[in-house]
Parts: sequence; structure tokens; C-alpha cells
Amino acid sequence: MKRKVISALLCVAMATTLLAGCGSSSSTTTDTEAEETEETEEAEEVEETEEAEETEEAEETEATGSYAGQKIALVGKSAGNAFFEIAAATFVSTVEAEGGTVDVVYPEEATADAQIKVLDNLISQDYDAICLSANDTNALQAKLEEAMDAGIAVSSFDSAPNAESRQVFVNQAGTTAVAQALVDAVYDITDGAGQWAILSATSQASNQNAWIEAMEEIIANDDTYADLELVEIAYGDDEAQKSTDQTEALLQNYPDLEVICAPTTVGIAAAAKYLQDNGSSCKLTGLGLPSEMEAYTGDGDDYSCPYFYLWDMEGLGSLSAYATMALVNGEITGALGETFTAGDLGEFTITEADDGGTEIVLGLPLEFTPENVSEYAELY
Amino acid sequence: MEKKSLWKRITGSREALLALILILLFIIVTGFNSSFLTPSSLQQLIKNNAVTMVMALGMLCVMLVGGIDISIMSTLALSGMAIGMLLKYDYISGTIVPFIIAIAIGTVCGFLVGLVVSRADVPPIIATMGFMYIYRAMGYLISNGGEWASASALGSFSDFATTKFLGLNCVIWIVIVCYVFFYWFMKWTRTGRKIYAVGSNPEAADVSGINVRNIKLLVFTIMGLLSGLGGALQVGIYASAMPNMQKGGEMDVIAACVIGGVSMSGGRGTVIGALLGSLILATIVKALPLVGIGSLAQNTFKGVLILVVVVVNIILQRISDRNALKGREM
Amino acid sequence: MAGKSGRSINNVPENPVKKMIFSWEGILVLLLIAINIFCSIFSEFYNISSLLRQMPVYLAEVFLMLGMAFILVMGEIDISVGSIVCLSATLACLVSNAGVPFPAVFLIALLVGTCCGIANALILTNFQELPPMIVTLSTQIIFRGIAEIVLGSGGSVSVTNTDGFRAIAGKVGQVPYILFLVLILAVIFAVILGKSTFGRSVYAIGTNRLTAYYSGINVQRVRFIIYTVMGTLCGLCAMFLISNSYGANTTTGENFEMDAIAMAVFGGIMSTGGKGNIAGGMISAIIIVCLRVGLGQRNVNAQVILLIIGLLLICTVGLPNLIKNARQSLKKS
Repeated sequence: MKRKVISALLCVAMATTLLAGCGSSSSTTTDTEAEETEETEEAEEVEETEEAEETEEAEETEATGSYAGQKIALVGKSAGNAFFEIAAATFVSTVEAEGGTVDVVYPEEATADAQIKVLDNLISQDYDAICLSANDTNALQAKLEEAMDAGIAVSSFDSAPNAESRQVFVNQAGTTAVAQALVDAVYDITDGAGQWAILSATSQASNQNAWIEAMEEIIANDDTYADLELVEIAYGDDEAQKSTDQTEALLQNYPDLEVICAPTTVGIAAAAKYLQDNGSSCKLTGLGLPSEMEAYTGDGDDYSCPYFYLWDMEGLGSLSAYATMALVNGEITGALGETFTAGDLGEFTITEADDGGTEIVLGLPLEFTPENVSEYAELY
Repeated sequence: MEKKSLWKRITGSREALLALILILLFIIVTGFNSSFLTPSSLQQLIKNNAVTMVMALGMLCVMLVGGIDISIMSTLALSGMAIGMLLKYDYISGTIVPFIIAIAIGTVCGFLVGLVVSRADVPPIIATMGFMYIYRAMGYLISNGGEWASASALGSFSDFATTKFLGLNCVIWIVIVCYVFFYWFMKWTRTGRKIYAVGSNPEAADVSGINVRNIKLLVFTIMGLLSGLGGALQVGIYASAMPNMQKGGEMDVIAACVIGGVSMSGGRGTVIGALLGSLILATIVKALPLVGIGSLAQNTFKGVLILVVVVVNIILQRISDRNALKGREM
Repeated sequence: MAGKSGRSINNVPENPVKKMIFSWEGILVLLLIAINIFCSIFSEFYNISSLLRQMPVYLAEVFLMLGMAFILVMGEIDISVGSIVCLSATLACLVSNAGVPFPAVFLIALLVGTCCGIANALILTNFQELPPMIVTLSTQIIFRGIAEIVLGSGGSVSVTNTDGFRAIAGKVGQVPYILFLVLILAVIFAVILGKSTFGRSVYAIGTNRLTAYYSGINVQRVRFIIYTVMGTLCGLCAMFLISNSYGANTTTGENFEMDAIAMAVFGGIMSTGGKGNIAGGMISAIIIVCLRVGLGQRNVNAQVILLIIGLLLICTVGLPNLIKNARQSLKKS
């Protein structure tokens, strides 16, 4: 009998601890709710004025600079992605500085199916714009078209949905520019000749596929790289364990392998760890987060990665925010050749993307060397 | 005559059959790629699968009482992320303290699962499915929404995974110690035998004075403890803590146990079986790229091989059962 | 005999009205009403039309719940369903892009699903000793693996001719076709499970397989049929998924098995077999849809929504047992 009571008590205790666990989070959500409800009132007013603006398109050009009151949703690939968090944080601060509000929403999993559910939810609400990083190139088309039909501006960054399902894509660093930088890095580390391999995320990852395709094209079309031999494209599924397995298999299958190029944050860190721990002569480059790669970046044999690339994550968040706000305001429509001013970042022009849609290119990829990696590691 | 009995003993024992399959796998893979069967490669095999191997022991206990636990990788992520964040913000340092914290968190998580299963009579798959969502969500929440703890943030914690002791990597020593302990625990201690008793026949165990509920609570707590250890190992080995680490990995652990001959209805299974099962699974995964299977086809082959190993095991079992029956008839 | 209601609070008076309220389905209905009231207060956008608009994506998973209910009542589990959805969606897209007319594409999706189901069924009935979980785990990896191979290095395909898919995503007024289809199928499956001989034999197998076998039920035939039908339902789910995404990729249908199991279990279908009915499963499916839509409309963190569903699962299954245990021990003392 006593035991029953104890067990019942324990269960109650458990329930309360669990509730406390979600309580802390729900309290934060209620805070934002309160803000939201306050601001939705404002938003409604502003919307009315905006509608008025839209009807008088001739005067619209004069209304630039006023982004206040916009309600924007930012959709990530999945929760728990440090890489995305950095861009999201600047996105939010940029929009808020202009007087708008942002809700950052994550699907429950890194799948297109889960993102469709999120988009459905967002369409039901009165958002002015949706900015997303797509989990799949094609699968979101139906929902994003529905959103655009409902008058919601659709922009994308980091990873683009196909050309029909977006108004504009903010490209972190042009696809070919990234590919060129990576190929040059491989060329430099191998001294112009030798075997190299690619360690990618999943076979479905649209960014990685685009970069790999561009890299293959560059190598095929330029005789400078004729002596580079791409032996294999392995997929580590963005899991540390599988990436390690794949790295090891690459080394065992190709003992003369000189460079592994890993254009994915999880893959590059796992591979760097393996290569460095085993003192392998094979070197590594690719795209990674400075904070993740700090311990592996250096000159000489003690370190596995001489240098690697990423782009200005904060700039990406900020530029995406400005592009999205400009779309809502009608300053840009996503058509080729339009220009707009993105705050401190300066003026940007909309260019044609590889997939036939339009894009805004942030800049060139950033190179992280042993000298500057620790400085950037503090930021991201 | 003696030869025959040896043959019978081999075919009669599940573990011997598994060992045979494992050796066969080793030979085939080495035939394709001679670098597979080198000491460093084998060490790496164990190191890279240490998490699965250690957790297979817990799953063995859970499955012995007829349960299943699919919340383990969420527990791993929660405990691993917790120490990752504590290390990142310099609340703790060193190696021992994070290990203790991770194990403590894991134990508490497992204890809660055990309470729900044993006291509220919730079927294990449902209870652990619920906790799978709950612990994973808590892992996300403590990561501040998605921070990672990287190699440099972890400080000296992950050094243990690269240090060697008596020629073997420390991670491998941890795996060995776990297996030796559980071999002794399951075979020679009273509690270990009680776990088997509960799994074979819960009513009989109850009548013979074993507190079935407490044993169930115990096995889930053990599972939680090992998940916590797994969390620390995961963070150490890969020098990185992320809230979504090892998502879906519970199925690998379950598959390892089932390949190792652990019965899902309880009562049957050994520590050696779990060891061989996880080694076979690890070898399959590691060997696929080595034998020249394209990266896109590797998953299909993995699934087919798991199925083949399990089916072959059943067929061999049937043959040995039939032989045993024949022996009885004579 | 096999109870038709999954869980119930013990010692409820015989009064039929009270009995109905205290049955699991009764409690679920009350919960459904409560959740709808909560959601409409919680989210300003929560109303019938937004619910109907957002429903189709979730309803595709309800097809899986219908089949999963039979499998769970039988005391078994099928975790390969998400992968079957992926494979049939992939092949349907490819076939459609090859210029095959839509009705044929539909049939092919169903056929692919059925074939996958038959593959599961064949292995499970030929090697009865094998636990369904491990068999469907390996086929889960295999089916998705085949889709990965077929899709190649892009890992994604979109349909070029979306007319047919747009048609099945159509609506009568505000009510999408899929809702009618789900309801019709639910009634059919409920009648089969609750009223037919076949349904009774499923309960019998779930309650005690050996007894069922000795009382003349062809256990393996029943299992074969159920796993095959499960496959067909996956094909159906795949078609409606494509109607939402006009494409398929290697992650299509990931974790759908867990969603389907959660819906069924929450609806009172015990994973240990022999208990539960389709009505409970349907009500719980609608509850989960309402909850997800309602909370989602206020952008509650997806992980928190999962946490709530996890808690609901544990509490709904555990609390009645705890109350029962407490009462029993009270009586003893």
C-alpha cells in the first residue's frame, strides 16, 4: 500500500517536473504572444494603409524606406541547426529595427512534408511575407503558389525552392562562386594534381547538389584542373557517425587520396575530427562553421584543415530581411534587373539564377584561415 | 564421434552461429579490401560504434523482460546536449564531472520511463514513444533553440576519445569494461538471473517471490544509465554536441540486439549475443562502402543484409531444433 | 471476450448513458470538444474553414492509421509504412512524368504499395518466428533505399503534369474530397473490424494467437491480408501526399509510422493486441489534427507540440491504469 502511494507521488512529481520543463518554454511563448497581439493591432492598421498604397502604384515608389508594421514568417529547415540560427538572429533584429515583427518557425523534422504543414499554418495567418530555407526543391511548390495567390510575398534564402515557387532567392554566395572557391582550394592543396573526393550531406540536399554539380562542370570545362581526379561522392547524411564511416572508407579505398572536400557543416567537422585524430596525410576543405572547425584549422601536419569557406551568415540574414521587406512593400517584385537598397549593406541588383529564377547574391564566400578562424569562431 | 558432437555444439549454440557469420563477413570484406582487417581499422570500427555497442547492453536487459525502448536516442541527445552546454558556458570542465552528470541525467530519464512502464502499466513501446518526443524536445529546449557545442567549446573533455591506454583507445576500454561487467552481472548475480526469470515467465517469477515491477523499473533505469553514458561518449568521440544527434539510431540498437539473437518477446538473449549482433551490424555498415557499393545503394544493401542475417539465423535455428528433436526420438 | 473499447475507467455504473460517457470513446469526444474550445481561444485564426483548409496534409496519414489499427489489434507493428509511402510516391511521380494517364498512375501507386505490403506479408508469414518490428525495420530501410536508388543523385522528383493531382485535391464547397474518402474508408474498416468474422478473428489473434490457431482461424492468412492491405493504404496515402507537394523525395513519408501509431494508441488501440476500435482511432486522429493545427497557428515550437503529444500519450494510457491500481489497493486495505 505504502509503495503504491510512493509510486503515485513519484508519478505526480514526474508530471510536475515535465510540466515545469515545458512551462518555461510556454512562458516565453506567451510573452511573445502578448507582444504579437499588441502588434497585430498596429499591423492591421498599417496593412490598411498598405493596401491603399498598392492601389495607387504610381505613388508607391515614394513610400520606400517605411518597413514598419510588417509581419514576416521565417521558416527554417529544422530546429536545432546552429548554422541557421545565426542568420535567423540577424534576420529578426534587422526586421525589428525597421519596426516589423518576425516569427521564426521550424518544421518538426528536416523534411518537405513537415515544411508543408508549417506553410499551411502560416497561410492561415495574416502574414505579409514568408521567407524560407527549403528542405526540398520541388515539394513546396503547391503550397508556396497557394501562399503567393493569397497575397503573401515569398522569398527564400540559404536553400531555394524551384523558380516557380518563389519571388526571389537570396543566395549566400553565388553557386558557381562557391564551387569555384572549393575547386581552387582542392587545386591548391593537391598542388594541382591528385585524387580527391567529396563528402556531402544527403543525396537529396539541394544546396550541396547544386555546388557539386557546379564543381563537376568547372573541372570538366577547364584544362587547368585536368590532373585532379574526383574519385567518389560519398554521403554522410549529416550524421557524425555515418560521416566518420564514409571518411574512413574513402581513405581505405583510395590510399592516395589527397583532399576531401566536404561542403556540409556536420560532415566537415566529423571528417576533420577523424583525419586529425589519425594523423592522416589527407587534408580537408569545404564549407563549415568557424566555431565547429576552430580546433581543426591550422598549418602543418597537426591539423587536418588548412582553410575552409563559408559566407557572411549575418549578412545573409540581414540581406534576406531587407529583400523580404522590399518585396512586401512592392519596391521589388523579384523581376530581373530590379535594384534595392539593403540598409548598411548597400545596393543590390536582382540577377538570374542557375535554375531560371531570380536571385540576389550576397557576395563572395569568406575564407577562414588559421589566422582568422578564432576571431570568427566567436561570432559563429 | 567427437567431431560430430563438436559440430552439434556449434550448430546448437546461437552465439557460435553468429560468430561464424561474423567471421564469414570479415573474410568476405577482407577479400575485397585488405585494409579492413588491420588493427587500426578494427579499433576504429569499435570506436565509431561504441555508442551502439554500449547501448545494446541496456536494450538487451529491456528486451529480456519483453520490453522495448525507443526513447534511448532522445535520452542520449538530452544528456549529451546538457553536458555540451554546461561545458560550453564553462560551468564544468574536465572529463569525469561531465561523465557523471550525463550518466545521472540518463539514469533519471530511464527511471521515469521505468516508473511509467512498471507502475502505470503502459506498454513499453507507447511509453518510450512518448518519452522519445519529450526528451528530444527537452534536448532542443536546453540547446537554446539550436546551439551546438563544438570541439573548441568542449575543452579538454573530448581528449579521452583520442587517448590511448595500454595500446587501446580509452573508448574501447569503456566498451570492454561495460561488456565484462554485464557478462558478470547477467550471468552471476541474483539480479541478473531475476531479469531472465521475469522475461521467461512473468507470472512464475511473480509467484516465486520476484518483484516483477521493480525488475522492470530496474531494466529501464539501466537502459537510461547507459543512454547517459552513450551521450557522453557520443559528445566525446565526435567532439560535438547537437540536439538532433543520433536521431533514429534506436533502431540500429534494436536491430543489433535482434541480430544477436535477443528475443523480442523476452527471456532469451545473452551478452555475447548482443556483442556479436552489434559487431555484425557495425561490420555491415562499415563494409558497404569498402566493397565498392555505390553510395546511393548502401542503405538498400544494409536493409537486405539485416534481413538476410536474421532470416539465416532463423533457418539455422529451425535446423538445429529439428536435429535436437531427432536426437530425442532416438 | 475481447473488449471493443480500448481503455475504460473501472467500476462504472451500468447506466447506459454513463457507460457511454465513461467509455474511452466518450472521453475522447469530450477531449475533442475541450481542445477545439481551447484552440479557438488560443488562436484567432482557428475556425472551420482554416481547419478544413489545413486538414488534407494530415488526413493522408489517417489512411495509415486505419491499417495500423488492424495490425496493432493483432498485437503486431509495422514500421515500414513511411518508406512504402516514399517508394510508391516516387514511382507514381516517375510514371506520371513518363506520360501515363492519371488513373493508371493512381493504380500504379496502389499496386506498388500493395507489392511492398505483400513483400512484408510474405516474409512475416513464412518466418513466423521473426518479430514484425525487425522485419519491417529492414524493409523500411530497403524500400526507402530503393527510392533513393531510383531518384538518383538529385534525390527529388516533381510531377510535370499536375492536373490529375490537382483534381484529387479538389473540394466540395470547403470540404476536401479526401475527408469524404477517409470517412468512408473509416466506416468500412470499422465495420470489418467490429462486425465481421474477419474482424473477430483479428481480435482473437491479438488476444491469444495460439488459442485462435487452435479454434480454427487461419492466422497466417489473416496476417497476410492485413499487411497487404496496409501496403495498399500506403499507396493511397502517397497519392494524396503528391497532391499536396506535386513531387516526391527521399524523405517523403519519414516518421509517418510513428504518427499513425500515436493516433491509433491515443484512440485506445493497445499495442499489446486484442483491444481497441476504429472509432476511437478516428476521434483521436481528429483530436491530434485539431491540436496540431491550433497550436501551429500560433507558431508554438514544433518540438513543444511533439512534447505535448508525448505527454498526452503517456498520460492517457497510464492514468486509467494508475486509477485502477489505486482503487484495487484501496479495496484490499
